[in-house]
Amino acid sequence: MNRLAMTSCLALAAMGMATAASADGEFAGITIEAKLIGGQQYEALYARIPEWEKATGATVKIISQKNHFELDKEFKSDIAAGTTDWCVGSNHSSFAAQYPSLYTDLTPLVPAGEVAEYVPANISAATLDGKLVMLPRAQFDVSALYYQKSLYTDPAKAEAFKAKYGYDLAVPETWDQVRDQAEFFSNPPNFYGTQYAGKDEAIVGRFYEMVVADGGKLFNDDFSPAFNSDAGKQALQWFVDLYKAGAVPPGTTNYLWDDLGNGFASGTIGLNLDWPGWAGFFNDASASKAAGNVGVAPAPKGSAGLRTGWSGFHGFSVTEDCANKAAAASLALFLTSEDSQILESSTGPLPTRTKVWEHVAEAAKSDPYRSEVLAAFQETAKTAFAVPATPYWIEATNLIYPELQAAILGDKSVDDALATASDAVDNLMRENGVY
Amino acid sequence: MSRLKLPPWLVLLLPAIIILMAVVLVPLVLSFYSSFTAYQLTRPDSLTKWIGTFNYRKAAGDANFWWAFGRTVLLLTIALNLEMLLGLGLAVMVSKVTTGQRLLRTAMMFPMMFSPVLVGFQFKFIFNDNVGLVNNALQSLGLTDVAIPWLVDGHLAMFSIIFAEIWTSTSVFAILILAGLYAIPQDPVEAAKVDGCTPWQSFRFVTLPFLMPFIYIAMAIRSLDVARAYDIVQIMTNGGPARRTELLWTLIGRTAYVDARMGYANAMGYIAILLSIFFTIYFFRKLTAARSELGMGV
Repeated sequence: MNRLAMTSCLALAAMGMATAASADGEFAGITIEAKLIGGQQYEALYARIPEWEKATGATVKIISQKNHFELDKEFKSDIAAGTTDWCVGSNHSSFAAQYPSLYTDLTPLVPAGEVAEYVPANISAATLDGKLVMLPRAQFDVSALYYQKSLYTDPAKAEAFKAKYGYDLAVPETWDQVRDQAEFFSNPPNFYGTQYAGKDEAIVGRFYEMVVADGGKLFNDDFSPAFNSDAGKQALQWFVDLYKAGAVPPGTTNYLWDDLGNGFASGTIGLNLDWPGWAGFFNDASASKAAGNVGVAPAPKGSAGLRTGWSGFHGFSVTEDCANKAAAASLALFLTSEDSQILESSTGPLPTRTKVWEHVAEAAKSDPYRSEVLAAFQETAKTAFAVPATPYWIEATNLIYPELQAAILGDKSVDDALATASDAVDNLMRENGVY
Repeated sequence: MSRLKLPPWLVLLLPAIIILMAVVLVPLVLSFYSSFTAYQLTRPDSLTKWIGTFNYRKAAGDANFWWAFGRTVLLLTIALNLEMLLGLGLAVMVSKVTTGQRLLRTAMMFPMMFSPVLVGFQFKFIFNDNVGLVNNALQSLGLTDVAIPWLVDGHLAMFSIIFAEIWTSTSVFAILILAGLYAIPQDPVEAAKVDGCTPWQSFRFVTLPFLMPFIYIAMAIRSLDVARAYDIVQIMTNGGPARRTELLWTLIGRTAYVDARMGYANAMGYIAILLSIFFTIYFFRKLTAARSELGMGV
């Protein structure tokens, strides 16, 4: 039996168990309105919803399906208009803190034994001001380093590298090595050593994890900005150096996740820090020129000896105004149940339940690439950290990223850019009475 | 008890007044009121938190806001003038065509039929530095061996946005000017020929003055459009990088819907409206002057 068939059988068996867990017809006649994240990689899970409907007698009506940035705007408009009586919403650890009044505490709605089945770090990040605001789904995100294996098998390259940099060419373990190798591999405009997300929350997230890896902090405990520091300057200088050296595509400051994923799949990028969801795509010969040549290593370490590990995860929340919270929580639990997570993680995404991690590792044993991917992400996940739990995270990133871009593009010095960004974030926090 | 009797004219106008109040006046008053509050979308109770002119003072003192204001004026000036010149040329050429003119007129309107969102994605791809059509064409033709950062370089990014705006909206000018060309009385044009005017002289001194009211109407319509430019810029560059292409409405849109600061965004919006009011008054004055020059009255 091949791996896919085996996974499907396990998933089906688990589905049966989960459906049995819900009392038959428990929520008969109830309609649950849901606003869910859309996109090919997220939707396989929604095909399971009829199972839950059949078991509980309830009906699920999906009234909105968009990416998280669009959902975020919609949620904010709903809060403003007072139209928050729909029940289940997709949520994300990076966005959750912005909606303090929108979602209900799931603690009284979900048995403690069930909550204990999730990875404790995820439950901790899903708990804001003592409220469990979402149940994590099998979309745990932390980035590891994808690379083209052929770059490390050419003796001439290895010799030239050692002559220039004084150490052996090997898959990088530190971000300084990434910088050296990216500069060495680059041959613009046909090939670039690396790339990075260059705008919006994405570049701030990358900067954040680099600051931490260099021994600094983005915010102090009172949420005052702490990134205008030696570690912050060192972190930003890394981005600036690569851009100046032409080791990243010149358009990288306009790139977001899809641009980066497609860039690495085009075979024109050597090293790429990216999310686990891309693993299958990168090694799929029908979609990626890098297929068969992809290696994955844990995220490299910064100057403080710490790995980068900005992480986040998707989840499902129940609104405070939902008329049938118990039914909505049951749906959220079903969508994040063990069987649902086995189904979702069978195509690459990382689970958020302890047992499913074990299952995925077992299932990957016969597939060397999948094992390599899992090992790299598991190692990185050990030291992963979420975004600071402030409702002003997204707004702060909107103040920081133009300044990071200004330094990268040479419009400002690193010192100027960080000082300006720090002042702007400080004003934001003060204006909102954070301190 | 006597029943309140409204005058007949008011009764007849009442439906229109109620609709106008509901769809125009109420949102306008509410947004204006909220510009004096700390209103945040995610905190509905903040709608009653009166902070006076704080938002206006904050916008007035924000260099990023004024840079965005300046860039919007620059975009407006360049895009409007180029669209007018290209639209005029296009209309004059199409008016000379005797066979297939209807087909050409229809083809000319194609860009207007595309959603601005689609146009944004189309030009984002065309100007992509790595896989974009323009760079690939230039590299294949041997004209350059570097990846030109069309959407990143300070000047090129603005050029790319202006190019997309012009591509999608030149036909607005062309169609209106073409209508003007059809409306021109032939007597003065023929009289100019009889008097020995060159083609350029008869165009410059006879045709163009007749076209000016049409041009100013097109300018007024497009100035309102461009001053509100959002979709194309949002998709092509999102106002970046490093605020190099930040326009008023990308800044206001982000403040309102991403940062959720609706009060502050409304204050910026009301300042931004001054720009639209200025250009509308300017072009309507020009239109009136052009009409009176032709003896068409005011």
